[in-house]
Amino acid sequence: MLIFSILPLLKQFFLLIMYKYFFFLFVVFTTTLSAQDIHYQSLLIKPELTADANAVVRNEEIEIEIEAVDKLTIRTRRVITVLNEHGENHIEAYDFYDDNSKIKNQEAIIYDKLGNEIKKFKKKHFEDRSAVGSGTLISDDRVKYMEYTAREYPYTVVYESEVQKNSTVFVQAWKPIAGYYLSVERSSYILKNPAGIPLRYEEKNLSGIEVEKSTSDFELSYSVQNLPAYNYERLSPSINNFSPHVLVALNEFSLVGVQGQATSWSEFGKWQYDHLLKGRTTLSPETIAKISTLTSDAEDNIEKARRIYQYVQDNTRYISVQLGIGGWQPMDAVEVDQVRYGDCKALTNYTKALLESQQIQSYYTVVYGGEDKTDIDKDFPSMQGNHVILNIPSEGEDIWLECTSQTTPFNYLGDFTDNRNVLIIKPEGGEIARTKIYQVHENLQETFSTITLDEKGAFNASLKRRSKGVAYGEIYHINRQTEKDQTLYYKRNWGHFKNMNLEEMAFTNDRDDQEFTEDLKFSGDRFTSKAGNRLLLPLNFLIPETYNLPRNEKRKLPLEISRGRTFEDTFEYLLPAGFEPESIPEYTFLETDFGTFELSVVIKAKEGAKTIQVKRKYVINEGLWPAESYGDFRNFMYTINSLSNQKAVIVATQ
Amino acid sequence: MRTIYLCCVLLLTCTFLQAQNFKFGKVSEEEVLEKSHPKDPEANAAILFREHNTYYELNRMTGFVLVTKIHERVKIYNKDGFDYATKEVTYYKNGNDREKMSGAKGVTYNIVSGELVEEKLNKDGIFDEEVSDYQLKTKLTMPAVKEGSVIEYEYSIRSPFLTSIDIVPLQSMIPINKLEAQVTIPEFFNFKKHMNLKSGLYFPIEESRKSDVFWVDGSSNVNFTQNKYAISAVDIPALKEEAYIDYLQNYAAFLKWELQYTKFPNSVIENYSQTWEGVAKSIYDDGGYSKEFGRSSYYKNDVDALLSGVIDPLEKAALIYNLVREKVKWNEYLGFLTEDGCRSAYKDGEGNVGEINLMLTSMLKYAGLNASPVLVSTQSNGIPVFPTRSGFNYVISGIEMADQIVLLDATDKTTAMGELPRRARNWQGRIIRENGSSAWIDLMPHYTSDRNSTLNVMLGEDLILKGKVLNKFTGLDAKDYRDNFAGINLDQHLEQLELNKGNIAISNLETLNEDFPGKEIEEKYEFELQDGLESINGKMYLKPLLFLALEENPFKADERQYPVIFDYPLSRNNTVNIMVPEGYQVESIPESIISDFNNGAGTFKFIASQNGQFLRVQAILEVKTIAYSNKEYKALKDFYALMVEKQTEPIVFSKM
Repeated sequence: MLIFSILPLLKQFFLLIMYKYFFFLFVVFTTTLSAQDIHYQSLLIKPELTADANAVVRNEEIEIEIEAVDKLTIRTRRVITVLNEHGENHIEAYDFYDDNSKIKNQEAIIYDKLGNEIKKFKKKHFEDRSAVGSGTLISDDRVKYMEYTAREYPYTVVYESEVQKNSTVFVQAWKPIAGYYLSVERSSYILKNPAGIPLRYEEKNLSGIEVEKSTSDFELSYSVQNLPAYNYERLSPSINNFSPHVLVALNEFSLVGVQGQATSWSEFGKWQYDHLLKGRTTLSPETIAKISTLTSDAEDNIEKARRIYQYVQDNTRYISVQLGIGGWQPMDAVEVDQVRYGDCKALTNYTKALLESQQIQSYYTVVYGGEDKTDIDKDFPSMQGNHVILNIPSEGEDIWLECTSQTTPFNYLGDFTDNRNVLIIKPEGGEIARTKIYQVHENLQETFSTITLDEKGAFNASLKRRSKGVAYGEIYHINRQTEKDQTLYYKRNWGHFKNMNLEEMAFTNDRDDQEFTEDLKFSGDRFTSKAGNRLLLPLNFLIPETYNLPRNEKRKLPLEISRGRTFEDTFEYLLPAGFEPESIPEYTFLETDFGTFELSVVIKAKEGAKTIQVKRKYVINEGLWPAESYGDFRNFMYTINSLSNQKAVIVATQ
Repeated sequence: MRTIYLCCVLLLTCTFLQAQNFKFGKVSEEEVLEKSHPKDPEANAAILFREHNTYYELNRMTGFVLVTKIHERVKIYNKDGFDYATKEVTYYKNGNDREKMSGAKGVTYNIVSGELVEEKLNKDGIFDEEVSDYQLKTKLTMPAVKEGSVIEYEYSIRSPFLTSIDIVPLQSMIPINKLEAQVTIPEFFNFKKHMNLKSGLYFPIEESRKSDVFWVDGSSNVNFTQNKYAISAVDIPALKEEAYIDYLQNYAAFLKWELQYTKFPNSVIENYSQTWEGVAKSIYDDGGYSKEFGRSSYYKNDVDALLSGVIDPLEKAALIYNLVREKVKWNEYLGFLTEDGCRSAYKDGEGNVGEINLMLTSMLKYAGLNASPVLVSTQSNGIPVFPTRSGFNYVISGIEMADQIVLLDATDKTTAMGELPRRARNWQGRIIRENGSSAWIDLMPHYTSDRNSTLNVMLGEDLILKGKVLNKFTGLDAKDYRDNFAGINLDQHLEQLELNKGNIAISNLETLNEDFPGKEIEEKYEFELQDGLESINGKMYLKPLLFLALEENPFKADERQYPVIFDYPLSRNNTVNIMVPEGYQVESIPESIISDFNNGAGTFKFIASQNGQFLRVQAILEVKTIAYSNKEYKALKDFYALMVEKQTEPIVFSKM
């Protein structure tokens, strides 16, 4: 529901979305198909390349020619062997186009495993359809793709295309390994720059692999051979953090007809401001008057900003329209004011305009939105990001506004845009800044529950849970669901309660403090289990949120926990009449690099009856650990599970 | 009492509705001020009024055009209803024939400072998209929408596809307060209409006729009759989402149209499909079935070689079934007709459903088997009840034998003879024989698919459980197994097996018959489980079924609107043999029980027995009937609750 709505689409439309959703290009290739320069026999692939691979890039040749500041051609020739059905998505026999780019040539040949040609696709055989992602209302993006059903595996596809673009602000990067379970026999990249337009490039993760390269002002050339496939491993960093790639940007460029020049973030930001943002924040006198009235009795600028943000949330909705320059330039504030919808750029710019009308300074800020934290590369000024938020400079910590959500609290980023480098665009130029970090103690979920047990095993519970920080963003939506869905949410999430019956649900959404409280009353059956005249009482009334991790003795990638979390739970059990505690587990405290776990169980007396009070504190730290730590982390998780799983024994006294 | 109450409500509603004016533009302040839906307070939006008007327009120069005019007035109650402020209309083209949208207009109504304010939909709020070679979309994005807004829009779709009238929707995901639908058809076109029987809602259709005249030129004219069908309804409840539903739209109310015949002046009747015989004939003749079944040259040599010396008909069928599956891969396109023809599918090695299963049928017939195509509708395509061509979108092959019919679908690689993939298991299909006769064929599986697990486990002093597992899968359980583990390596297979089994290490995995559809699959492995045993106060507690236990009741909701349908009849037989460690004795074991649901539709047996140091626990679930009505839901839920309870009861061991 946010912004660019990237998350739900990631699986199918990853490239497609990145493409226009803002910046970032995608590419492809070279000369005409000739059958001799490589053996297309799938059977000849080296075993180290088929290990963990669903497909093998046999030979990829990308040639980019910068013909002018507003013209570049990408020629792709990609020979790929698909080893099994899961390898189909690595074929990438498609190209995107729009009103500012065109596919000049496209063809493909399929070879069977023995290298015999079995099918040929000429330009007209490629399917053509619009590439409007499901989060977008409209865009001019289209895609032409090959549709082929394989009869057997392995088989080899030779794909060639030539694409011409007017926008040179994006230069396709070299990324030989585009995903998991894909190995590379050979991949090469040549960028020709006959006009000598000044350019910059940045090499990433090339150390440790053998790369042939030559670079000059007029040509860049890279090639690599025999890169084995990466296996996807749980809780590992995003593939871009370790896979080799080379980024390229021109110092003089064009974006849908708008030319520019930049070598630093300051210049790049200045160009964006001057050509895409400037003069788009004018508002009608009526609107200004309305906003002035709205904020007239506010005590300070923060309060004014808060009211304006609320006004935007109450009066607009998110609609993504990406046509031509509109993929990069916000809709005029006047227009948004009239139609009351817009995409992230439009709504951010509109909010900025409303703030401006009250002399509150704010800045349009470009970011990579997504649960995976991706930085704007501070060392490589170029068109980056896929989303826009608003920055309000403030004493102490800056204020950040997500303008596409109608429900997010003022100054709440959550896990979509937290803790990452962003580009703040000021009239005088661009600046890299870091968004708010949600520290481990801020991402707090705190539960207090009183559970009344009966001698048959049934219980009645009242439970209060407070969620803050990132946890707030995950739960507050429940407030607006139907009662039926709310009930089902608890029944599904707390499936260990048998015959759960929710009697009362009340929610408090404190948007100012960004704290969400659930107040629940519910009952259930068979919580305790009978063992002779004793009852076994599980102490983990709520099961701690641990990771269920596979064994992996061959772990290769580092372990990453992207956000710390703190859980503090208090469960107070009121024993049934006539029962006494017989045994309770000992106090435990575990401390590791990854976090801590503390469990204390004490017997108390309350109004004449016996109670067992369980206090559990579980902290998981944010961090990056070497692959060897994976086993220890997994043990930590399982230890927490078994400690939480302990039971008290209660016994009937009569 | 209830009837009386309902009547009152309806009467009241009528009075209120009459006070409302549904002409375009006549939105009232009351409508904009309304805070929540009076009958469905949780609704995020509601359709206050919907008018659907389909008719044929006759033009002297261009002939007939099929026009559908829509007018909707929608109330947005809150931010979650904003999705309804963008109307997305899908329509079609085929070659040079294309449907067109015309007359789109829209207005948003808000109350601003106590005044009713209108904001018009401008051209720049209307977006056209050419989705593909066949599909077009127009999106109307209403301006100035906020909580409380009422929006209103209308548009027409003008279609050259005269013989297909779109479905008239009678229900939505939000409540509809008032619906006026009418379809007017000149006598030259004869359509059959049917309501969705799976929807619980009933709408009377008012039929009327009126005469019309068409002037060919100044002097000559044609008199004809217009048949009009009208539905007028109020307070249509929203269609609600529910878990375990095959396809929600199958439960929505709608009115579907099927062309029967055309009869133009001075022409003969052109029959489309009025009877099953007619359907069969038209599919055989126009649909190309006769042609496909008459053509064997392209596979003759291969089939002759394959069948040489084979006499048993079922053996022949099996060989042909596998031949087609090896030769031709399904390209994931549906359809009961061929696209490029069976011959080219055979040559290219890929084809749609029609090509693959007609080829299969053709070969079976060639080999002397009594095979015929069986028309099927996939789940998302609804269920045809009346004679129809367009109600189907899939075809399989059926071999009629003395006392049985064997169904085959060669688009699926892992099914055995007689098994169908899930997409083709939708209630019933229609077999259409070459002689023009036809009959309903039950597509739902009646055979039981088994999963038998035997687990031998030893309890270690260190609370570690070690053991061996033997799993056997038959029928559709075996098919599911093949589908789940196809194309993955041993490491991935182990990872999937270990998932959700706790702190476990699985080793020495062996599987048998994984690559032979139709054969029972055996899966063997050894395991070591760290957290399967609990020690409290010197006693050990063991949930005997370990990771085989059903830990949670899958049925969560308290009640249900739609039926529950299991995929297929099933049997789950879990046996656990436990050796009691030296120095320990069994203090208590769970009680054995037998539970029966709906007179044997489902049974669950739990048997625990002890013989010296050996314990044996058996849990057997059998589900024979697969469909349960919403009235049986509560009992089904309780049946599962009991099963969960028994499966998680511990055995207690104590030191001797």
